[in-house]
Amino acid sequence: MAGTIRAQYPSTIRPIRINCTGRVTPSLIMRAIGKGADGVIVAG
Amino acid sequence: MLEAARTPGLNVYTYSEVEDVSGFVGNFDVKIRKRARYVNNDCNGCGACFDVCPAYGYDEFNEGMNPRKAIYVSFTQAVPSMAQIDMTRCIKCELCKGVCEVNAIDFDQEDEIVDVKVGSIIVATGWDEYIPKTGYLGYNVYPNVITQMKLERILAPNGPTVGHLVRPSDGKKPERVLFIQCVGSRDLNMNTYCSGGVCCMVSIKNSKLIKQHYPEIEISVAYMDIRAAGKDYEEYYTASRKEGIRYIRTNVSKIQEDPETQNLKIIIQNTLSSTRLKELEYDMVVLSCAMVPAKGVEKIVRILKLETSQDGFFKEFHSRLNPIDTKIPGIVLAGASQGPKSVAESIAQGRAAASSLARLMGKDKYRILLIRATVDKDRCAKCGLCELNCSYNAIKTLADGAEVNEILCRGCGSCLANCPSEAITLRYYREPQYEKQIDAILEEI
Repeated sequence: MAGTIRAQYPSTIRPIRINCTGRVTPSLIMRAIGKGADGVIVAG
Repeated sequence: MLEAARTPGLNVYTYSEVEDVSGFVGNFDVKIRKRARYVNNDCNGCGACFDVCPAYGYDEFNEGMNPRKAIYVSFTQAVPSMAQIDMTRCIKCELCKGVCEVNAIDFDQEDEIVDVKVGSIIVATGWDEYIPKTGYLGYNVYPNVITQMKLERILAPNGPTVGHLVRPSDGKKPERVLFIQCVGSRDLNMNTYCSGGVCCMVSIKNSKLIKQHYPEIEISVAYMDIRAAGKDYEEYYTASRKEGIRYIRTNVSKIQEDPETQNLKIIIQNTLSSTRLKELEYDMVVLSCAMVPAKGVEKIVRILKLETSQDGFFKEFHSRLNPIDTKIPGIVLAGASQGPKSVAESIAQGRAAASSLARLMGKDKYRILLIRATVDKDRCAKCGLCELNCSYNAIKTLADGAEVNEILCRGCGSCLANCPSEAITLRYYREPQYEKQIDAILEEI
């Protein structure tokens, strides 16, 4: 989406493809933050 | 319809309702309620019973403008051509029983539930005319304000007036007729959508029809925008203007009746030509009402677990790329069930729906992706949270643990995110796979 509308976003954002936002468990979010991520966006 | 009813292997259930649907693509179980007609299948539609019946009701097919008997055929070309009894009107005199030569009348008949197994479903529930609030533009208050559907029946050769144009208050031929467009549509207080240009084209058609029969009748159309988009439509609109039909770009806000003549007075401002308000008088006003989803659609939505769009019509898979299929495999949409559309568009969608299902049903196999939830039954606590959170009814809690129906499952993973014992995993999207991805990404920084 960001690509098709040519939106600029920081190069430090890393997308991970999921099948559905329903799949995201709290443990995955906590793991990312625990490993040093500044934040997690769950988008769908 | 007649051809369909005569095709072997094609069962037509008329005067029936779908009560329940279960199962999945290729294996739907449908419960159909066949309502009691109080007339059995021996009826040949001869009509002897209509003549003797002393009780009357309103003819729904003619918008209630003429009476019909309590035992009747819903309309002349009805398939099957069989009588039915309106029990709210019947006085149970049983005169019909006496004249029926084939002994078809059965006052003890009850609703019948039929179980049918089908592989796929086409939803073609159609539309209804929007009914304005009583008093809005004089609807239901002034007899000479009618809706487009009523005008259709008045103009029909098999209608209540045998095709003669008369106005309801005195049965006289109107000299000045006004059509008002966009009643109940393109209005933020009612329906925001445009009914696909159908009401525009119907008004043009009916005004041309009236002009052909009675060239002396003065016809005006009060419109917001004429939406004549489609093959030959704009030419049709231009032709109607050449025939002398007057188009006034305006918004009609109020109609007042002259109590003596029962003529209708409106005050309008033609936004294209003048800034002055004008008072115009008409003998009859026709409201071009919006197309709205058919009555009872909410029940079908619930039974089939489909979604509707904001306007209440069934929601398609994708409004532009796939307007035929629904999100549930094996269920497709045809015609105005999906949105307001004309006859030509409905036919196109109907044929597309049939071919979409033929492609699915023609093969003996149904391919699914392997991205499906799987349950480790040893860890399952049978709490039922997964069943509660599944949007597709794909997971059931059984005595030995939860079980996934791999055809219904869409691999969204809502069940595993809610599973407290972490007993469910999603093939190809397992927890360790994501953990590895997260770790690898965060190592770079």
